[in-house]
Amino acid sequence: MTAALRVALWLGGAPPRCAIRWLDGALAAAARFPGATAVAAGPATWLDLAADRAARAGLPSVGVVTDLALDYLGWAQIMAAAARRLGATTILVDEASRPERFAEVCAIAELCEAAQLTHVVAIAPEAGAIHASRASGPTLQTVRITGPAVLGLRIAGSPVDEPATPSPAMRRSDLASLGLDPAVLGHRVVPPRAGAEPRRTVERVADHLADFLALRAPVTEREARTGKETRAKGSRSVKGARGPKGE
Amino acid sequence: MAAVLVHIDLDGARPHASSLQALAAGRAVASSWGATLYAAVIVHDPARRTSESVVPGVAAFRLPGEVRVIEAVRTTLARGGADKIVVAKTPVPIEPLWSTLGPAWQAILDRLRARMVVFGADAPSAPELGPRTAALLGARLLLRAHAVPGDHVELRDRDGGHVGAGDSGATVALIGSAPRLAPHSDDDIDVMVLAPAGAADPRIELVGSAPAALVHTTGAVIAIGDDAAGDPEIARAAAQLAAALGASVVGSADAATAGAVASGAVLPPGAALAPALCVTIGVPPVDLAGATSVVQIAAAGGTGGDATLNGPIAPNIAELARALEGR
Repeated sequence: MTAALRVALWLGGAPPRCAIRWLDGALAAAARFPGATAVAAGPATWLDLAADRAARAGLPSVGVVTDLALDYLGWAQIMAAAARRLGATTILVDEASRPERFAEVCAIAELCEAAQLTHVVAIAPEAGAIHASRASGPTLQTVRITGPAVLGLRIAGSPVDEPATPSPAMRRSDLASLGLDPAVLGHRVVPPRAGAEPRRTVERVADHLADFLALRAPVTEREARTGKETRAKGSRSVKGARGPKGE
Repeated sequence: MAAVLVHIDLDGARPHASSLQALAAGRAVASSWGATLYAAVIVHDPARRTSESVVPGVAAFRLPGEVRVIEAVRTTLARGGADKIVVAKTPVPIEPLWSTLGPAWQAILDRLRARMVVFGADAPSAPELGPRTAALLGARLLLRAHAVPGDHVELRDRDGGHVGAGDSGATVALIGSAPRLAPHSDDDIDVMVLAPAGAADPRIELVGSAPAALVHTTGAVIAIGDDAAGDPEIARAAAQLAAALGASVVGSADAATAGAVASGAVLPPGAALAPALCVTIGVPPVDLAGATSVVQIAAAGGTGGDATLNGPIAPNIAELARALEGR
């Protein structure tokens, strides 16, 4: 019954940021679906690595050669076109290898008018459906999926000891063969960004960590709870001089 | 006038802390750009059923305090700076999934046509609703952004993405932190109630839920190496930093024996984690290749990651914790 699911695995438009363990985990998860195909896009060096790891996992692979550096929606357009070409209705995404990729899960789902599920940590095919476990903060949700869907995988493979070896076993195509116009897709190109130097002082590290304080209530909430109306040092009124009530 | 829309997740009957951070950032942007700030909440209305003869579309009216949950959040959102509150009722029990919240959220988006849509980066619904909203709008997407003050407030994310008042097109931002803003006392703000048609996507069926194992955490963790865990001063400082970040301290069984790690936070050697943030102290026996951001403290030869601190370990960590507690 699982053969009814036509599965494609999106490996993304760039290699894993640090290690290929999550890439291997996604490939191993996809290999549980008969007939699944791995899809990658980007420069040739990345496609060589993707082809090698897919072959080791026993998956056929397709590579879309492009030098474009795209945003989430640009890569999603490529994968959506590739999925249509492959006839895939279930799309798995290696979400963990690069932190920005979880956004592509939702964008592919939107373009394919499919259901979506991010942060999937376990997956199992079952009688034409898929059972998945999803991490949602402190909760693990168990979900049953039927019909077209895009799932973002955060499943780690085993540690890899052997070095990657280039492999030619990948079907290569280009944007035009998927019906995509590089000039149109170029509107989703992101400008090159210089790699930031690691922060090395307590003050700068604290600045960085401050972007992860979103789980704490902001000052307004804490002050409101204690009834304090005095303004924090350096703070401003929530409604500045401009705006609909400050005009 | 342009609209800035903030999605508010509920934590029980209160707005989620991360959503309030997003509201504060939205307030800063809206005041700077001269926009109206809408705070939108999706609430479960058990009285409604999909088969019920609800008039399709939208029924908007001024009705503060009609629903107990609405009343509970209204004051908080008003004090957080919202100009208007939008409440969308759904017959579906609230779960942080697009399949559950999507129809009601789309009704809000269709109604307001916001120029900017903001989520709390750590709000439960953000990973599912944020990028999907961006794709719906064809918008630029900022991940874990913060507001940068200036003549015109900008939002910037850690990858260099940014949006300012002069930029055209829609933007969706997941907010990591927000400026300190004093509470506003105007509680008399409009509440618009929507009752959109549409049920949950039947393709995604929630079968059950259970507490997640630590290895599956998507939040923040502090991973401590065995050598560092053996120093009580470092262990205390690590706990202080964990409290400031709302993080868990994880490590090996030896680290637990030393008292630096709680028994439920022991990870097997080589365990792979994919949290949003990992602060390493020493050389922890875990694989952090899946972490979005890594901060290394006293890592032997550590030059990678987003930040690296060398020098006296415990004083550095304690100073970090104090700096964060003051924000």
